Amino acid sequence: MARDPKHDVLFEPIQLGPKTMKNRFYQIPHCNGFGSEKPLSQAYFRAMKAEGGYGACCTEYCSISPESDDTHRMSARLWDEGDIQNLSIMCDMLHEHGALAAAELWYGGPHAPCMESRCVPRAPSQIPSDFEHLTYPKEMDKDDIRDVQKMYVDAAIRAREAGFDIVYVYGSHSYLPQQFLTPYYNKRTDEYGGSFENRARFWRETIEQVREAVGDDCAIAVRMSTDMFIGEAGTQLERDCLPFVEMVDEIVDVWDINVSGISEWGEDATPSRFYESGRQLPWQAAVTAVAKKPVLGVGRWTNPDMMADAINSGKLDIIATCRPSISDPFLPQKIDEGRLDDIRECIGCNICISRWEIGGPPLICTQNATAGEEYRRGWHPERFTTAENADNDVLVVGAGPAGMECAMILGKRGMRRVHLVEAQDDMGGIMRWIPQLPGLGEWARVVNYRKIQLDKLKNVEFIPNTRLDAEGVKTYGAEIVIVATGAYWAKDGLNGCSHDTIPGADASLAHVLTPEQIMVDGKSVPGNKVVIIDNDGYFMGVSLAEKLASEGKHVTLMTHLGHIAPYMHFTLEAPNQHRKLHSLGVEIVTYHLPTKIEAGGVTATHVFDVEGHEHTWDTDATVLVTQRRSDEALYRELKDSVGREGLEAEGVEALYRIGDCEAPRLTADVIFSGHRLAREIDTENPEEPLPFIRERRVPDAETVKRELSRIKEQRAREAVPA
Amino acid sequence: MKLVVAVKQIKILGDEVEFTADGRDVDPDFLDRALNEWDACATEEALQLRERLGDCEVVVVTVGDDESEGALRRCLAMGADRAIRVDARTLDPITTARALAGAVMGESPDLVLCGVQSADSVQGATGVALAQLLGLPRVAVVNRVEWSGSGPATVQRELEGGLVDVVEVDTPAVLTIQTGINQPRYANLRAIKQAEQQEITVVPAADEGSPAFTVRRMFAPPRGEGATMLDGSPAEVAQSILDIVRERLA
Repeated sequence: MARDPKHDVLFEPIQLGPKTMKNRFYQIPHCNGFGSEKPLSQAYFRAMKAEGGYGACCTEYCSISPESDDTHRMSARLWDEGDIQNLSIMCDMLHEHGALAAAELWYGGPHAPCMESRCVPRAPSQIPSDFEHLTYPKEMDKDDIRDVQKMYVDAAIRAREAGFDIVYVYGSHSYLPQQFLTPYYNKRTDEYGGSFENRARFWRETIEQVREAVGDDCAIAVRMSTDMFIGEAGTQLERDCLPFVEMVDEIVDVWDINVSGISEWGEDATPSRFYESGRQLPWQAAVTAVAKKPVLGVGRWTNPDMMADAINSGKLDIIATCRPSISDPFLPQKIDEGRLDDIRECIGCNICISRWEIGGPPLICTQNATAGEEYRRGWHPERFTTAENADNDVLVVGAGPAGMECAMILGKRGMRRVHLVEAQDDMGGIMRWIPQLPGLGEWARVVNYRKIQLDKLKNVEFIPNTRLDAEGVKTYGAEIVIVATGAYWAKDGLNGCSHDTIPGADASLAHVLTPEQIMVDGKSVPGNKVVIIDNDGYFMGVSLAEKLASEGKHVTLMTHLGHIAPYMHFTLEAPNQHRKLHSLGVEIVTYHLPTKIEAGGVTATHVFDVEGHEHTWDTDATVLVTQRRSDEALYRELKDSVGREGLEAEGVEALYRIGDCEAPRLTADVIFSGHRLAREIDTENPEEPLPFIRERRVPDAETVKRELSRIKEQRAREAVPA
Repeated sequence: MKLVVAVKQIKILGDEVEFTADGRDVDPDFLDRALNEWDACATEEALQLRERLGDCEVVVVTVGDDESEGALRRCLAMGADRAIRVDARTLDPITTARALAGAVMGESPDLVLCGVQSADSVQGATGVALAQLLGLPRVAVVNRVEWSGSGPATVQRELEGGLVDVVEVDTPAVLTIQTGINQPRYANLRAIKQAEQQEITVVPAADEGSPAFTVRRMFAPPRGEGATMLDGSPAEVAQSILDIVRERLA
């Protein structure tokens, strides 16, 4: 298939300082959990996007000094020779695919708590971080300023040596250079604080120095937030950002423009719940209007028409993506080949970001089970081996996300026939109704993408309106049976806090409801007052609260936790979700566990009240969002009642289960579970995941011996004081 | 009792299309094949009649090369009892009907079901031509069949605007079946595997006679340049149109 000429502009090369980028697809700096210390995972992850057609790929934020240590969160590091060597692997692999490599040189100031290095971060003024509340910086004097600027220069030189083509002086997300620019962080009264020129001085000087050191060989990039949305105390577009662009444009090769600070950076990495693609265009366009150098920016871009339009209308020169590059590293190639319906679009759930926010884990992606697994498990999102046992027929029971993913990958691996059988009239399972919750419409892309792919697979047949029982499964005629029957919300108030049901919690009664009853069965929520009991901690409770409150009910959202929906803090959805609930008048009750549910009210005690005083909330209806249960009845019957002999007698050689019917979990994880089984369907024991590569140090015997003797010698030189 | 269903393995275009060397057809490498949707409904209707009437055999017949046996096997997997392939090319509805007529006549059917049309050629003529060749009464675009198994059948025809034409037709007869009459059943893997093993009777075609038409050239239409807007009074626009037509004809 051919590229649509409308998208030709996306494939025009562009000059960035001394370098030429081959097209307009730029993977913006973003975290993956690998840093410099899992160099092969890092390199393979980035290189996948280069293989997929990206013209440039960046590291995540890349620390220039032990003073900028974000442990427990994972950054890249360019402190020493070892880091140069490790990151050079990434550079080499990117260059092999004709992509430029960029290092986002980063100094975090007080936002980086230095929990490994135990250093003290420096900052323009001594104010504890609004992101890491316990971290105080040292207030920089002139020597400190010179020292830190030299850190940038030295790191830039290391970056060049590692093979990076583009070097950033990164300020966005309220990091050091932007802290100097912003009154919120900079209360100085010397020439580095006060007026705009003074506040801009540190950043300008640093760019000059970095340019002088490496500017002939590397393109100099500046990442800047145009507006922090905190009024005059924050960076503002007209007052600070545009004058800075005008002042410094000449010594910058490319501008990377976004919005927001660090404590609410969901305004930049916008969840689809609250923002559409291209949200930052007005600010980006304002910079493009004054800058003579190229401007790039993110916008959760998935639609090539929108991308082309952003460039054609002069709002951006380069399309930058983070999350859409995670969900589909091959986005550029698919646009180039006119294969638009093969694009696996980002759904804006921010599960990827949540892993960084939690601090430590590698990223995962709801749409792309191979994200982060390129090296660890050797998975390529577009390539599959033919299964060694392809000469078999497979029955997948249940066409929810896990079943769909599994059937799709089995199809791509050439299984003889795959039947994806579903009780409902269409694919999607749980992802048919979750996207109906307020703001979650884009999450339906999980289903849409797989539907299109499954339809293309000649060896996969989708059979709706068919509810198979154990007999039907047994006699279906498949050699391999995979059960993917999902999970349901508990109807009896069983929850992870009390590990018990709640007296009176019975969803067969008119005044007690579960999420499915409301969203799928259309069970009416009686009366005007609703109490939602949320022991879940992610989005279901708040989404139902928003929905019911928008429909005019008076809603009380009750949780045993100290916060409502704590996981949404990690997905950056919390601030706006709280604002929404507040504006809808939803009553939030924390630290309470219900003791009984009745037709007219819910009685609960405070979890820290040792005397257990009970309070009752009047209500007409109670919604149970207490916990989920696997829908494992079919699997249990097949495994326990029919048994292995019973199955083998009918020709079924293998029985597996995947997804929520094994254990309820995130959609990202159920899709992973279906994907993994399909990738490993021809191993000796597919039920057990193959070991994945752990990038870790295993010192050889000689190194151990040497290190032990070195410490021993040191101890010998030390004495215990009398 | 015997019900015969004539089915077709249709060709489906993929995203890319290339033509044969002689420029008269799509290169088979760029085609997928599937059982015609109308014929799946016809087969399903026959199976449901068999279930209602009992003591009944459902025989499916197709005209085509051995690749077209895929359609027959799908019908066998659905539950048809027997399958026959007439080994001939399907050039047009008339030659196809001639090829079918021999095999169908040989079965002495009590009822013959066809699809209203095929999804790839969309001529809508084969079933009706077959009826003529068999000398049987025919009703086209049927969306409901009521029949006791002997004597006349009462069928409904789908007309425009939701109107229904109720027709009584003597049997044996040929009915062309409209989609929507039923939901064709799915076949499980066991049935598909069993159908793979079943023998299909292959018969040579009777003389197909001369084709009703021949394809001179098949090509993708050139992309238009877009529309030119003609401005002016009706008389001016009319004159512009006349000039353009004269110019193009010249």
